[in-house]
Amino acid sequence: MSATLFLQQIINGISLGSLYALIAIGYTMVYGILRLINFAHGDLLMVAAYVAIYEILLFSLPWFVSFPLAIMATGAVGILLDRVAYKPLRQAPRISLLISAIGASFLMENLALVLIGGVPKPFPRPDFFSRVIEVGDLHILVLTIYSPIVTLLLVLGLFYIVFKTRAGKAMRAASLDFEATRLMGINLDRIIALTFLLGSSLAAAGGIMWAMKYPQINPFMGVLPGLKAFIAAVIGGIGNIVGAVLGGFLLGLCEILIVAFLPDLAEYRDAFAFLILIGVLLFRPTGIMGEPLTS
Amino acid sequence: MSDKLKSGLNVALLFLLFGVLFLFNRYGTGYQLRILNNIAIFITLAVSYNLINGVCGLLHLGPNGFIAIGAYTSALLSMTPAEKELNFILGQVIWPLGVIQVPFAVSLMAAGIAAAFFAFLISFPVLRVRGDYLAIVTLGFGEVIRVLCNAAERVTNGPLGLKGLHPYTNLWWSWGVATVAVIVIQRLIASNYGLALKAIREDEAAARAMGVNPFRRLMLAFLISAFFSGIAGGLLAHLITTISPSLFSFILTFNLLIMIVVGGLGSTTGAVMGAVLFSWGGEALRIVEQPMDFGPFTIPGIPGMRMVIFSLILMMVILFSRKGIMGRSELSWDYLESKLIARKAR
Amino acid sequence: MKPFFQMSHVTKRFGGLEAVSDFSIALERSELVGLIGPNGAGKTTTFNMMTGMLRPTEGDITWKGENITRLPAHLITARGIARTFQNVKLFNDMSVIENIMVSCHYSINSSFLAAMLGLPGHRKEEQRIREHSLKCLEEAGLARLAFERAQNLPYGLQRKLEIVRAIATEPGLLLLDEPAAGMNPTEKIELSAFIRRIREKSGITILLIEHDMNFVMNICERIRVMNYGRSIAEGTPGEIRTNPEVISAYLGGAPHAQD
Repeated sequence: MSATLFLQQIINGISLGSLYALIAIGYTMVYGILRLINFAHGDLLMVAAYVAIYEILLFSLPWFVSFPLAIMATGAVGILLDRVAYKPLRQAPRISLLISAIGASFLMENLALVLIGGVPKPFPRPDFFSRVIEVGDLHILVLTIYSPIVTLLLVLGLFYIVFKTRAGKAMRAASLDFEATRLMGINLDRIIALTFLLGSSLAAAGGIMWAMKYPQINPFMGVLPGLKAFIAAVIGGIGNIVGAVLGGFLLGLCEILIVAFLPDLAEYRDAFAFLILIGVLLFRPTGIMGEPLTS
Repeated sequence: MSDKLKSGLNVALLFLLFGVLFLFNRYGTGYQLRILNNIAIFITLAVSYNLINGVCGLLHLGPNGFIAIGAYTSALLSMTPAEKELNFILGQVIWPLGVIQVPFAVSLMAAGIAAAFFAFLISFPVLRVRGDYLAIVTLGFGEVIRVLCNAAERVTNGPLGLKGLHPYTNLWWSWGVATVAVIVIQRLIASNYGLALKAIREDEAAARAMGVNPFRRLMLAFLISAFFSGIAGGLLAHLITTISPSLFSFILTFNLLIMIVVGGLGSTTGAVMGAVLFSWGGEALRIVEQPMDFGPFTIPGIPGMRMVIFSLILMMVILFSRKGIMGRSELSWDYLESKLIARKAR
Repeated sequence: MKPFFQMSHVTKRFGGLEAVSDFSIALERSELVGLIGPNGAGKTTTFNMMTGMLRPTEGDITWKGENITRLPAHLITARGIARTFQNVKLFNDMSVIENIMVSCHYSINSSFLAAMLGLPGHRKEEQRIREHSLKCLEEAGLARLAFERAQNLPYGLQRKLEIVRAIATEPGLLLLDEPAAGMNPTEKIELSAFIRRIREKSGITILLIEHDMNFVMNICERIRVMNYGRSIAEGTPGEIRTNPEVISAYLGGAPHAQD
């Protein structure tokens, strides 16, 4: 294939990867502290997209108001999710938490189905993002460039919070030793709420960009991206934020490039992510950034 | 209560069951028969699923894959070459499937064996890990199967699925398989093998130290569970006579999860109860998805409401009554006897 | 004469940390030996290697003439080495007798198919296992609790049950990891008597880790002392009690130039 086409695919891969990275961070942060796989995390994309749509449609808010509002609203939903579905099970066996997560996910999806209907809604992509840049033979949607940039900015912001603030230090401590952190007098409930807030907000940002990228939204739109983002988090080393970002970009690139080089296998695109997952779990379950398991 | 009396009671119960089935077979409506068949198939699925998730304590999220393998294997083997010709419009089905046809019973056996074989293959990666990782790997395999069913058009006819299957499944097949599954799996659980599985669940390191080989035992349970799931898949295919990959999505796994959690994770009786409640409840709840007439008013049907209610029930059980109906206990003749004695004593 | 059990120059490294260094020990039939040392000396790690839960980085372990260094835990148990754990690891949701019956699993003679089909051969095996388990419980005085849930037992009985469970595997070598931990003096006296009875009855070799010095001195014929992953002394209780290196290891003092 030509160099231009290859470059195009690389850019696409990075762009897709940036969205996976944003969503993966939420999974990894929650897992780091609670050792819980938040199955309902992917559905937050759907929540953010629908909130944004209704803000624009019902209140005619401009995108630079409705998007941040949607992100905040989704962050709140994330906290609510923890309060309702996970907090009562802090002392329960892990299998109960996983089941609760699956139940919460299905509940959110089907509640949306019941309330909004299953007919896909077109997402109003602002003109700002719809422009196409031409560089030589490349035609790139502005959104495709903005996604990684926004992701990078958000991730830097997150790193600042996690590594340079006291709250962030408490979060890191909690992910290393839950009980000891509580014994140090730190209000774990607040820290957990903060974790969900941050993770859900990032997922919301990813969800809105996803909705702009694939502008038909439906109640189940978060399922596949959510699963893939989770796979990205595992690839990078679940519990490790840097790993989640790396894993996200890696997965996005792999997905785009595999389909680009083997177009006959395009239908198997989704299976690839799972096969990569199984491969990682077989040969290096702790992921790229994780410690290799000892005997 | 003596063992002989218990055996006698069990046999009597079986006679009662098959007597009732005989009556339904004769006099029941098509609708009733379909529900009864459904219940039996779900009983088989729930009891097999409970063996892994409840007794072994592994969070296996990929049973939909085994069921799909069973369904497709059975369907592809039982259809006549002519029927396959009719179905495979996108491209001819691969040899030897195009020319082969076997009796229903053989196709069911093949379904079970195919699913078990697949379980054997994946037990190597799956059983290397535990907990969340195992959940994700099995989920991954379930999804991979579904995607493969969609994509391998020359084998499965892709998204179009297979239509026009003979409705071989009747009450005798479905309840026969369910009865055998329940008896055989419960015997395994009650035996020393079952103790080994439970020991692995309770404390795997201690189990190893007592001489139990976790990999071999868990693989055994995995294979047995897959075997029955595969057969149930074949029964399902020949009940609804049309199968497609979308039938075997994660929603199927979710439904099974509801059944065994509500019934009681670890209890075979619970799994049976969960399956019955789910099938019956699922039918009963269909009314919320249909418009209802209340005299001059009509409440419109709400599609998706059923799943909302199911999700809510699952969450309620997990949050408030984690043990489900039976917890880990089984209903037994001894238990009933003790209840009877307690009542008489009052 | 080759020793019954032999550990030769065994070393275990975790990354940069050497938890056990060049450790060797030989055990004879029916011996009652103690393994003591300050916390973190590497005693439980040594147990874990003996039982196949950890693999030595270097060195060999021989049992009845066979090299068992690389064998997995369940096979080592089948060959006759059993153990208890530092923290009680019973099968909590199972009954007392069920805990014991698990120990008989590795020697079961009927297949799973026979179990599923309810064949008479299997039923005989189940009968044999049940009788054997009940006998183990009777000998330990726990038979009346056979159908209690293991986690409902008081702590002292839970520890005892763990020992009975290990014995039920019919071992030639029994490893007890801090069997007296958390027990009051009365319970410890009973435990001493219990351990002696086990040895008299079945001639099992017993190696035990303990922190209670009186308990160890009272019951063991021979004692090996570990510190910082190495063997620092061996001898009779009398010799160990007065060994200056042992004393300084427990009380602190100038570290010895072992590195």
